[in-house]
Amino acid sequence: MEEVWILPAIPFVVFLVLGLLGRFLPRNGDGLAVLGMAAVVVLVGFVLADFQGSFVDDLFHPAAGANTYAFDWINIGDGFFIIEFSTYVDAVTMVMLPVVSFVALMVLVYSIGYMRGEQRYGWYFSALSLFVAAMLLLVVSGNLLQLYLAWEGVGLASYLLIGFYWERQSAAEAAKKAFITTRIGDVGLLIGIILLWRATGTFDIQDIIHAAESGGIGETYLTVAMIFLFAGAAGKSAQFPLHVWLPDAMEGPTPVSALIHAATMVVAGVYLVARMLPVYNEVLIARDIVLYTGLLTAFMAATMGLVATDIKRVLAFSTISQLGFMFVALGVGALTAAMFHLLTHAFFKSLLFLGSGSVIHATEQQEVGHLGGLRKKMPITAITFTIGSLALAGIPIFAGFWSKDEILHDLQKDGPLWAYGVLAATAGLTAIYTTRLVLLTFFGEPKDQHAYDHAHESPPIMTAPLAILATLATVSGLIAFKGVGETLGFVGGIGEFVVAHGEPHIFEIDWVFAGSATATAVAGIVIGFMYWGGDARRSIAARNWAPELHQLFARRYYMDELYQAFINNVVLGAARVVAWFDKRVVNETGVDGGTQLIGFLGHRLKFLQTGRIPNYALGMALGVAALAIVAIGTT
Amino acid sequence: MIPLENFLILAGILFATGLYGVLARRSAILILMSVELMLAAVSINFIAFAAYLDGEAFSGLIFALFVITVAAAEVGLALGIVLRLFRERRTSYVDAADTLKW
Repeated sequence: MEEVWILPAIPFVVFLVLGLLGRFLPRNGDGLAVLGMAAVVVLVGFVLADFQGSFVDDLFHPAAGANTYAFDWINIGDGFFIIEFSTYVDAVTMVMLPVVSFVALMVLVYSIGYMRGEQRYGWYFSALSLFVAAMLLLVVSGNLLQLYLAWEGVGLASYLLIGFYWERQSAAEAAKKAFITTRIGDVGLLIGIILLWRATGTFDIQDIIHAAESGGIGETYLTVAMIFLFAGAAGKSAQFPLHVWLPDAMEGPTPVSALIHAATMVVAGVYLVARMLPVYNEVLIARDIVLYTGLLTAFMAATMGLVATDIKRVLAFSTISQLGFMFVALGVGALTAAMFHLLTHAFFKSLLFLGSGSVIHATEQQEVGHLGGLRKKMPITAITFTIGSLALAGIPIFAGFWSKDEILHDLQKDGPLWAYGVLAATAGLTAIYTTRLVLLTFFGEPKDQHAYDHAHESPPIMTAPLAILATLATVSGLIAFKGVGETLGFVGGIGEFVVAHGEPHIFEIDWVFAGSATATAVAGIVIGFMYWGGDARRSIAARNWAPELHQLFARRYYMDELYQAFINNVVLGAARVVAWFDKRVVNETGVDGGTQLIGFLGHRLKFLQTGRIPNYALGMALGVAALAIVAIGTT
Repeated sequence: MIPLENFLILAGILFATGLYGVLARRSAILILMSVELMLAAVSINFIAFAAYLDGEAFSGLIFALFVITVAAAEVGLALGIVLRLFRERRTSYVDAADTLKW
């Protein structure tokens, strides 16, 4: 299927129809949204089948794939300045497309149950379709400007959906915070795109990569451009120091968190860096920045996840941390590992979010202090959530183990040893906070009897997506193996499919390595059980173990306070100066002064108006005489 | 043939007389009459130049005709205004119409 642009077009049409006519459709048109999404999933299947055909002799030939020029988007001066609307499909896209479309379908189905009876039910599905349209466009974009358009599109959809409950002050503020914070990164992205365009004269991603690889761009220039580009990626993917928006983004409906703030939109940054990875390979300073930003973020977010008490926020910190893992992989040039982790993470993290949504739906509580013991009331949710947690913690068989192990492996091979140590410790922390979350939510004694009595298992329309995603969270890691990939019809496992440096990446099981990774995960789980498996005294002991550290993590390293102080002092200070200038100089001196001057002059000059016609006539005569003298004088 | 200067001097005298009348008289009627004098002076200039500069072309004559037409229309309009002024103020002195003065 060559016409890949149809993929984003379908949800966009759904968005328009639901947005404009949703009120007249049965059930506000939720069925239409689901049907459209199902159609996209089927079409992605066709694209995938077609894409396999672009492998000849185990090598990827993009021209044979669904890589097409669609039409001229902007054409100034008949080809002087031209921007094509183009699509490009390669292996990186082929990982993103099924993830985005499939998770979106699951989330839409789940939302039918979760959002039932909500106000603005139709608008929810409409905005979600807009998001999917923008995300698919982003993924298939062949040039950077088109990507930027889609990039802002997903930002808009994210803003709309975080602020879905805009009657709530905190939701409105979270939406603003998310939009502004990512916007700061987006400015960097735009600067990066412009810099690349200046150097190469094109927006086409493949042309830029070729230009960079052939050394057509100065190294310092390219480094600066790629760092700016990464700023955009860091904003969208919630990397330090722009990570502050993601925990607050949990104000949106939970399925939105699952789709946008866990599985798809936040990996847009990872996708961008992965797409531009050949260029990053040329400028290792920029690539190292990616690596260390990812590393720092992964560790910081994991520590914050340890102490968060809101079930969704724990997952949000976990998402930030896992995105850090992906950037670490990209930072050592391990494209395969990054995309693999992106794939598995999308499945198990959306599963975890949808599971937490099921809990919130049933109990109307999202603080772990009000949950507990829910496994008896909601068995399916508990089992699927536990599967997702095991995948996140990195227990063998489950998907997360394979991909996280691969990242650690690549880091150990190509990165500094201390970085490997930090990331391995982060993996251990991941296991601890995951265990803590599961234990506090589903095990132990109910801490809030009212919420517990209120709880019930969710309807099948919500548990079915959970079961499907739980299956995927279990088995999707196996596509690392050549045999599994071949059975599915690919050239091999994901290593032969997503190829970096032109060489396939063969997955090998290093038993010592896998064993130590498993040991770390198990140790994390054991620590989790030690502190949160028993009664409340243990968890209080955990908190009192190092109160200062607890405070540091719980206050999120004071980053929010720091930014607030920056805004209060620097931004508002500058605003006060500008306001003073506007009030005193522009308004009082300029505008008011102008009127006063005119008024003064008018007051003085009005005496010229005598009201006597002979005076006016004399003025006219003198004027004519003066003109005549001038006319005669000049000739 | 009468020299051109004679016509110009006559027109100048007429124009100056008219200008003096416009500036010095208070009666609206007299001012109007003075304006007519100035227009007549201009017309004389047109005709004189037309006759002396190019005997074949008659654009100067046409201008003179236009001046007469416009003057007639103008007087018709102006007399109407003067009549209104007289009915309002019981006088035709232009000093009386000074409402727009500060």
